[in-house]
Amino acid sequence: MSSFSPARRWLLAVVATSTLALTTGCGIGQQADDTSSADDTSSSTESTDTGSSSTDEGTDDTGAGAETGGTYTAGEYEAEGSYDTPGGTQSVSVDVTIDAEGTIEAVEVTPQAESGNSVQFQNEFADGIADEVVGQKIDGLSVSKVAGSSLTSGGFNAAIDEILAEAQA
Amino acid sequence: MATPGPAPTTDDDVSSWSFEAIGTSWTVDVDRPVGPAARRAVADRIEAFDRDWSRFRSGSVVDAVRAGAGRHRLPDDAGPLVEVYDALHRLTAGAMSPAVGGSLEHLGYDAAYSLRPAPGHVPAPDWGAVRWEPPYLVTGEPFVLDVGAAGKGYLVDLVAEVLEQHVAGAGVTVDASGDLVHRPGQGAPPLRVALEHPRRPGYAVGVASLDGAPGRRALCASATNRRTWADGVHHVLDARTGAPTTDVLATWVVADDARTADAVATALFLAPPETLRRELDFTWVTYDALGALRASPDFPGELFR
Repeated sequence: MSSFSPARRWLLAVVATSTLALTTGCGIGQQADDTSSADDTSSSTESTDTGSSSTDEGTDDTGAGAETGGTYTAGEYEAEGSYDTPGGTQSVSVDVTIDAEGTIEAVEVTPQAESGNSVQFQNEFADGIADEVVGQKIDGLSVSKVAGSSLTSGGFNAAIDEILAEAQA
Repeated sequence: MATPGPAPTTDDDVSSWSFEAIGTSWTVDVDRPVGPAARRAVADRIEAFDRDWSRFRSGSVVDAVRAGAGRHRLPDDAGPLVEVYDALHRLTAGAMSPAVGGSLEHLGYDAAYSLRPAPGHVPAPDWGAVRWEPPYLVTGEPFVLDVGAAGKGYLVDLVAEVLEQHVAGAGVTVDASGDLVHRPGQGAPPLRVALEHPRRPGYAVGVASLDGAPGRRALCASATNRRTWADGVHHVLDARTGAPTTDVLATWVVADDARTADAVATALFLAPPETLRRELDFTWVTYDALGALRASPDFPGELFR
């Protein structure tokens, strides 16, 4: 069964591309940026093929149907995204575990690159990405104020939102 | 002329009020009711600052500096602003500069908010070549002055001072969405402020705890993904190149005043904290492009990592 449409894989591919672009050095970074721009300007309706070769092993409902009472179907979701680099097409695997409230409990990124700069970049990306979803819900904190930027969803949030939408019962 | 946003809307005494000004939301909390005169004074102070300094309003000193080289009389409150910019220009080896307005306009961040980046980047003229002979700024070439990196924090300080004059000894919190000054009332618990996750609205990466003792404390936040209008284009530029920064996504700074905290919150996108701490007193948190959260050990509060 497929838990991710090609459009969702595309979103994750964009996330991988733009975040990796931030981690790269000048020359390659520029090209990665270009790739990202091209992706961003293409419509999300372009869902059939973005060069994404995916082995879809999504397994929703690993919770054996235990937590279906909430808004979301708890479980572990997996998607594989691909992106183009000067060294060829690369891919990363992203695992997201959510609970029935839609809270992301864990994110695991598995680098798929086998050679070249992509290995280093993907490892950095994988090391860093778990930090991107840690944090606590502000609603649950005893605070008087919030300092930061209320912002529209960036690429990563868009991908996460897609995953949550997918998981909604 | 239209009444400024922060003007009082009621003659009643209130202890908390909110308004829009200089393009952002403000909330002021005082630990006792405040009459319309004090609130009017706050509104007038904000209006004067905006009129004097805004890059987005005609008639400000920015227009004069843009029009030509020469001796330009700056507003009476200019001293502390020039001083903090001078320090950070030096500490960031020229990366942070109030002469960066032209570079911003090149990228589309102009008075008309065209938000259409022109190709490439335009470095800022050398701020080091500009002389400050109070109250005159002596320029050798026209350029676009932009005090956006410290001006809002400085204005928050000025508003807090206005309130302290009207309600001496009161506990006061002035929050201008990302730039905040807190002066605790007697016996008040610390003010806890969530540090909003730069990539996950509604989530926090930590909580700052401002006890304020013995005087004011300021917390300023900056994030480059708050105002991104094209791929990789945002408002924090390296003045030496005119290009947007890439390494850091968000910063939070606690200092004794918001002028310093705001300026350092921008400078942390451009230089290492240790370099800035050689001359300035502050504690900090950064969230970088790889998602790593870093903080000075003395940051007041807790981090979720």
